[in-house]
Amino acid sequence: MTRTSAPGVRVKDLTVVYKTPAGELPALGGVSLSLAPGTITGIVGESGSGKSTLALSLLNAVQPPGRIKEGSVEIDGLGNVVELTGEELRRARGRQVGYVFQAAQNSLNPLKTVGKQLLDLGRSHDFDDLPALLKDARALLGRMGLDGGRVLDSYQHELSGGMRQRVGIMFALVLNAHLVVLDEPTTALDMITQAAILKIVRDVHHERGLTTLIITHDMGVAAEVTDSLAVMYGGRVVEHGPTTEVLGSPRHPYTKGLIRAIPRLSGDIDEARALPGRPPTLGTIPKQGCVFRERCPLRIAVCDTVDPEPVTRDARTVACHAVGHLATPVVPKEYV
Amino acid sequence: MITASGITKTYKQRGNMLGARAVPALRGVDFRIEKGGAVTFIGESGCGKTTLGRIVAGLETYDGGDIVIDGTPMSSLKPRHREPFFRRIQLIHQDPYSALNPTRTIHQTLAAPLALRAKQTGRGKAWMEERARELLALVGIDPGYVLPRYPHQLSGGMRQRVVIARALTVDPEVLVADESVSMIDVSLRLGVLALLKDLRERLNVSVLFITHDIATARYIGGDGELYVIYRGQVVESGPTERVISGPVHPYTQSLLSAIPVLHGVERPGPERVVPTEALNEAHPDTGCLFARRCPFRTDRCEAELPSLVSDGEQAHACYHPQRRNVIPVEAA
Ligand SMILES: Nc1ncnc2c1ncn2[C@@H]1O[C@H](COP(=O)(O)OP(=O)(O)OP(=O)(O)O)[C@@H](O)[C@H]1O
Ligand SMILES: Nc1ncnc2c1ncn2[C@@H]1O[C@H](COP(=O)(O)OP(=O)(O)O)[C@@H](O)[C@H]1O
Ligand code: SF4
Ligand code: SF4
Ligand SMILES: [Mg+2]
Ligand SMILES: [Mg+2]
Repeated sequence: MTRTSAPGVRVKDLTVVYKTPAGELPALGGVSLSLAPGTITGIVGESGSGKSTLALSLLNAVQPPGRIKEGSVEIDGLGNVVELTGEELRRARGRQVGYVFQAAQNSLNPLKTVGKQLLDLGRSHDFDDLPALLKDARALLGRMGLDGGRVLDSYQHELSGGMRQRVGIMFALVLNAHLVVLDEPTTALDMITQAAILKIVRDVHHERGLTTLIITHDMGVAAEVTDSLAVMYGGRVVEHGPTTEVLGSPRHPYTKGLIRAIPRLSGDIDEARALPGRPPTLGTIPKQGCVFRERCPLRIAVCDTVDPEPVTRDARTVACHAVGHLATPVVPKEYV
Repeated sequence: MITASGITKTYKQRGNMLGARAVPALRGVDFRIEKGGAVTFIGESGCGKTTLGRIVAGLETYDGGDIVIDGTPMSSLKPRHREPFFRRIQLIHQDPYSALNPTRTIHQTLAAPLALRAKQTGRGKAWMEERARELLALVGIDPGYVLPRYPHQLSGGMRQRVVIARALTVDPEVLVADESVSMIDVSLRLGVLALLKDLRERLNVSVLFITHDIATARYIGGDGELYVIYRGQVVESGPTERVISGPVHPYTQSLLSAIPVLHGVERPGPERVVPTEALNEAHPDTGCLFARRCPFRTDRCEAELPSLVSDGEQAHACYHPQRRNVIPVEAA
């Protein structure tokens, strides 16, 4: 059965590994994160930080050579999706969890019209009333400023990037899922198209009562639409809290660096600073100690040996020895 | 110095059922790039920015108007005589993943253009080796590490720097950086922009910068000129800081209003402008090109095309220009 209200999501101690020539390496190293029902949560971080891997895990859709090694993903009404298999899982995708994949612009089937693909989707989810499905899709596309009828009759190559992006969003919403995951929904779009799409995401979220997760590497995008913001680095959530507070008074040194790297329209432009160094890749994520230490201006001795545990205080979670270590004893943790 | 005057370009698209369709990509664009200067073009997708960049770099032909490089009009020359002029203008591809040949080491990638340069200037192999190292150091990467490696062994930011180093092999006077399709990370991007800014200062090269993100135009050259292009027409231009802080054209205001606000750090500008509908190339082009989307249009706007008028510094093409506070303000 389809839920009619926004579900909550609780990710706990999630470790996802990819098989590489150097063995299985963790792309997510014990991530915990909750999405409150009815909110829009953003995940930001540089490329390779594990954002897409986390998003795929919400659907238990991590593909080989990757696998979920440990941890759980509880979604209200679905249970622990890590334990779902086969038919149960297939039905949950689309019907309960709507998903827009990264580069949705290129994920349509080039050989079939959008409408044909929609009918295939409806049939695979046993929709009896296909005309109603088409009608919903036309209405959604119309809401997004497109001529729904024309778009449904179009092939991928007949649509611009911004139009395809909106088609992706339509697919995520049309089966009436109440948990929607959008991976980089506006990357490579121009600012006006981006602003229009973000407004649609926000409006539909409120109208339908959704729980929404938006993955982006652009702080500005997250700032514009989310209620709650999680910052990822090296397969960890290093900071999480209400968006305006995380942006207004960031606590983790990485969050501070990311915010400072945004060129702004007003103020002294020379205050914008590139983050020194570059993000780690699977093979270079340190096996012990803080994953951010190579680039951290606050590094202290303990950072080299002990991975900082996330500590929650005043609705803000931060994983950093220089921020949270007085409040809670740190527990060393090892990753394979 | 490069002066472009009245550049027009129309693509003939082999059409669907309606037959060939003419797409006016540029409708008479004028601008000037001073030695060591910075000129930025902004505008939505499909407004002609890449077309213009390619024309300036000599990679695309134009239908009307002319490009004058250091006093020589390109139209007065036979194509093969234009080549030495255009060689001084190098386009930097902003997709570091496809810009480099994956089967060549960075050493080989730089050796080819350097060999040509050595031949022209009567220098030998030792000079080539030294120059390759010098250029990589100039763009901020370790030559010893990078030279023997293949592109896939480098990070996106390193690849982008190699692409810039390769453009520098011919001692260009102008770098054209088209980042409207940039796929690199925000934090890396700022590093690359800082490099371009640095090259302006150290080598006195000019930069023609193409972007969707107006804030980055301030970073690369707050002292430069900003051109706002819409459906192939420049609709507003002037000193970068002045246009950003005091835009008068509703289209410029729409672009500035669309930039995400960093809630918690900033508050939205009080007079943000949102276009009434999406860009549609099929909109009529008899009157103001922006009229169908403009919240401030009047009958006059739809009747005839406003031309660019300048107060000596800032220029706009609008019948009802008015300053509006659209950019975010610092939250207290
Ligand atoms: N080779 C081509 N053949 C036909 N039309 C073209 C061609 N290249 C560009 N156009 C058209 O010319 C216009 C300007 O395109 P251009 O690529 O210069 O835009 P742009 O401003 O660089 O956009 P973006 O921000 O998306 O990179 C568009 O209408 C585009 O569809
Ligand atoms: N199919 C795969 N095989 C091996 N490694 C992968 C695969 N997919 C992702 N990775 C690695 O996992 C890490 C996290 O990737 P991803 O979740 O895509 O990050 P993001 O979305 O934040 O850019 C990266 O180091 C990436 O290279
Ligand atoms: S734990 Fe140490 S290295 Fe890591 S972010 Fe905090 S201070 Fe920096
Ligand atoms: S000329 Fe008229 S329609 Fe065009 S931008 Fe100005 S006010 Fe708007
Ligand atoms: Mg990703
Ligand atoms: Mg372009």
